[in-house]
Amino acid sequence: MNGILLTHLPRRWRNRDKIACLVVLGLALGQTSRGEGPTESRPLHERIDALVSRQLESRKLIPAKLSSDAEFVRRVYLDLSGVIPTAQEARTFLDDPAPDKRARLIDTLLTAPGYALHMARVFDVMLLERRVPAGGTAVDVPLPAWRDYLSEAFAENRPWDVMTRELLGGDGSDSDRGAAVRFYLTRDVNAHQLTRDVGRLFLGIDLQCAQCHDDPRFKDYRQEDYFGLYAFLERSKLFPVKPKGALLGELAVGTTKFTSVFTAKSGETYPRLPGGALLADPQLEKDREYRVKPGPKERGIPVYSRRVALSEHLPRKETPGFTRNLANRLWALMLGRGIIQPLDLSHAGNPPSHPELLAELEAWLAAHHHDIRGLLREITLSRTYQRSSELPDGSPPPPDAFAVAPLRGLTAEQFRWSLLQATGRIEAHLATLDAQPKKASAAETPAWKQLADRLEPLERPSAALLAAFSGLPGQPEEGFQPTVDQALHLLNSEKLLPLLKADPGTLLHRLSTMEQPEPLIGELYFSVLSRPPDAEEMSEASQQIAAAGSPEERNVVVKALSWGLLLSAEFRLNH
Amino acid sequence: MKFTQTHRSDEYQTRRRWLTGAVGTAAALGAAPLAGAAPLQPRKQLLLLFLSGGASQFETWDPKPGAKTGGPFRAIPTSIPGVRIGELLPHTAKALHRLTVVRSVVSNIADHFQGHYALQSGRIAPGYPVLGSAVAKLLERPDDVLPGYVSIRRNGPKAYTDVGDAGFLGAKYDGVKVYDNLPPQNLVRPAGITTPLAESVERRRRAADARFRQRHDNRPIESYEATYQQAAALMKHREIFDLSGESSVMHDRYGRHEFGQHCLQARRLLEAGVTCVKVTHFDWDAHQDNFYWHQVRCAEFDRTFVTLLDDLEQRGMLEHTLVVVTGEMGRTPQINNLGGRDHWGRAWSMAMAGAGVKPGVIHGATNDLGTEVTEDPVTHGDLFHTYLRALGIDSRMEYTIGDQTNPVADPAAKPIEALLA
Repeated sequence: MNGILLTHLPRRWRNRDKIACLVVLGLALGQTSRGEGPTESRPLHERIDALVSRQLESRKLIPAKLSSDAEFVRRVYLDLSGVIPTAQEARTFLDDPAPDKRARLIDTLLTAPGYALHMARVFDVMLLERRVPAGGTAVDVPLPAWRDYLSEAFAENRPWDVMTRELLGGDGSDSDRGAAVRFYLTRDVNAHQLTRDVGRLFLGIDLQCAQCHDDPRFKDYRQEDYFGLYAFLERSKLFPVKPKGALLGELAVGTTKFTSVFTAKSGETYPRLPGGALLADPQLEKDREYRVKPGPKERGIPVYSRRVALSEHLPRKETPGFTRNLANRLWALMLGRGIIQPLDLSHAGNPPSHPELLAELEAWLAAHHHDIRGLLREITLSRTYQRSSELPDGSPPPPDAFAVAPLRGLTAEQFRWSLLQATGRIEAHLATLDAQPKKASAAETPAWKQLADRLEPLERPSAALLAAFSGLPGQPEEGFQPTVDQALHLLNSEKLLPLLKADPGTLLHRLSTMEQPEPLIGELYFSVLSRPPDAEEMSEASQQIAAAGSPEERNVVVKALSWGLLLSAEFRLNH
Repeated sequence: MKFTQTHRSDEYQTRRRWLTGAVGTAAALGAAPLAGAAPLQPRKQLLLLFLSGGASQFETWDPKPGAKTGGPFRAIPTSIPGVRIGELLPHTAKALHRLTVVRSVVSNIADHFQGHYALQSGRIAPGYPVLGSAVAKLLERPDDVLPGYVSIRRNGPKAYTDVGDAGFLGAKYDGVKVYDNLPPQNLVRPAGITTPLAESVERRRRAADARFRQRHDNRPIESYEATYQQAAALMKHREIFDLSGESSVMHDRYGRHEFGQHCLQARRLLEAGVTCVKVTHFDWDAHQDNFYWHQVRCAEFDRTFVTLLDDLEQRGMLEHTLVVVTGEMGRTPQINNLGGRDHWGRAWSMAMAGAGVKPGVIHGATNDLGTEVTEDPVTHGDLFHTYLRALGIDSRMEYTIGDQTNPVADPAAKPIEALLA
């Protein structure tokens, strides 16, 4: 009840300090204000907006206006499907008069198969950082198996704690979810690399420097934290199998010792999560430590696995940083920057920009069983997410205020699929498939898998494009980092040209059949930029088309127009 | 001296020529073009020769012949009376009076990944620009056309050798990578794309960006624009990657091996006006057969390095080019049972030459076994300050990026005044 009432208060009331607001509300309803009740009953996206607005006011910053429908539709497709909408999808949305169309589109996208494929791509890059094992693909999980593992998880909205358990606990032998072991294999099962990356990716802390000494920068990062985490991992070993692939073996013995290079202080530790308690190994009789004793040809399987212990103890809402890290990373995914930024430097000296907001998101995830889709829904429903990227007063406000929608570079994956979408290659390809006789088995295949299989033939022709836009192995891809190699690829690559050809069903082919310049230009802008051209753009483009003498000349003009838009910053950025 | 002057102005003329080709792009960026009477002062430049894997100080700059840690090689006299270096560097020994050697580096980092980053960024904390990117930014001029930083290397494993780059300075200052001396890919317009079409595309792109810029944060848009400008400049001047114009004698002098050819390429790029060039010399990580490997590596390095110094000097470039020779760490005094030396950051050496540093100075010292620094310890942060100062940059400056300021060099470290000219 209270929540509903609150949403109907004027904005200036809602934007006030939350406590003051609740007091007023409590008085109005004749209640004794306990604070918690009404807050809880309001949907999360409203609480997000209230907390962001409160800081905007205290910092005297003016937020941007609500995004236009065109801004919104492109952004939300990119964020939830990983690709711009087709011209038709953008038009349909813009023409829809329903007041709740944004919420409906969010729900549609979140449950569409494209969501699972997109999130699989995002988490692939986040978790593996484009690494390749030192031994190459011979000791790795096949890429399709890994992708299917992630896609299925996101399609069924598997809770993050469950996924984390699979990623950290599996040894690769599970027939169903064994592909999760790729997290270990791409890091060569190197315990130091894994310690660093488990800290960074699952807890939001980078213990790298604490490997050699207590981190002098952050008093929160102790060498014993590093080695406590390391102790979980150091007994696990790479076990290549014939003819291809690898599993994890593990020893049942081995103590973890460390010495500070600064103080020469040394220590020995059992496994321990940062800030948690020591986890002693169970006492096992001698010669009973193994299910399978490790040998030259035997993969060691201990009775008690420290790695499995990690997978059971780390993914809990009680583990400091675990739920908060997910909240912060999902926020950053939608808003272009974390509430803690950088995403892996959570410590006392780098406080969150919005501590209460982060706490709210964390509490929500804890109460909703680490529901990734649910949190993304709440974030995208918020006005904070739905702001325009147009600056309210000319100069960009501080990025940590979330006053304006940020300009974010498309990821390599988003850029690849959006270029294929804009040029009409996805639609043309799917239409060709639809014209072929259906295969019988299609009915039992889940929707995400059908879509993945249908899109797969488009990957090879765009592999060079993806490679040019991908970051370096082992480095997190944060911020917009365009490079000259990418520009050269877009301008001159022989491998890009086939994607821009006017094959039947593609954009240029479609445009070549349109007689009148206005509808042609409209279709071009909707296809590439997901919006109608403004008057100036329409008149400029019309003049150029009118100046073309022959149909051939006209096609060259149209080609230049569309290519120019594909190279534009507006296309390159998520805005 | 007159010879030097001529070359300098030639070099500047070359740069002016490019400027005329790029007026449009500079204007589009809103950058103020240089006033007509710009001082004809050559820009300071940086050449970083990075000995990847970590060279042994014992076999190079700080020999300990006869000590149990010293290894089998002798120490030889140099052009500085009373100073000796390893016998594997005979040419360098004769040129030592032109160098500045530091024998007291204390970085305390014995890890490739961290060392590559720390020795190039002067910090441990992540996210800062490496030397080439930092100097490209700090010495940038409004009429610059070519990328400010180019990194020349083998097309091999990149795990730690490409660690870090421009950090928060953004993509414009990332090193453009030249692998195996091949120019960046896609420098030539495909046959099917006519010039009028390409020009028309470029006009449409600019028109679209000009519109989009009006109401949006301009920084990412400019960052993107900069990559197109760099692309256009590289396409136009792709002859700078063409070593076939260099004489056969020059190829021989530099050495017909990877490092020699990469250094020749580096000189070409510096001459063309690229502010910072890094050449990575690989395979110094001699955990086995250290002495064999150092014979091989030093033989390549020694002759090429001195050729490079001579060539830069003859072209009048050395006085405005700082040449830095370092790796990510040194190697242990202990010789392991495979005849190797392992990772070591407690007491090791590096060298500099050229712009801004005092020639003929040997700074710092280690004890008889080479296990500890006994005089004038120097950190990677101190070195970073020193490089900037040698290039005429106040190392106490701060970058201002958006609403954030960051010191260009670690405030906890300081320049080594004794080395600065």
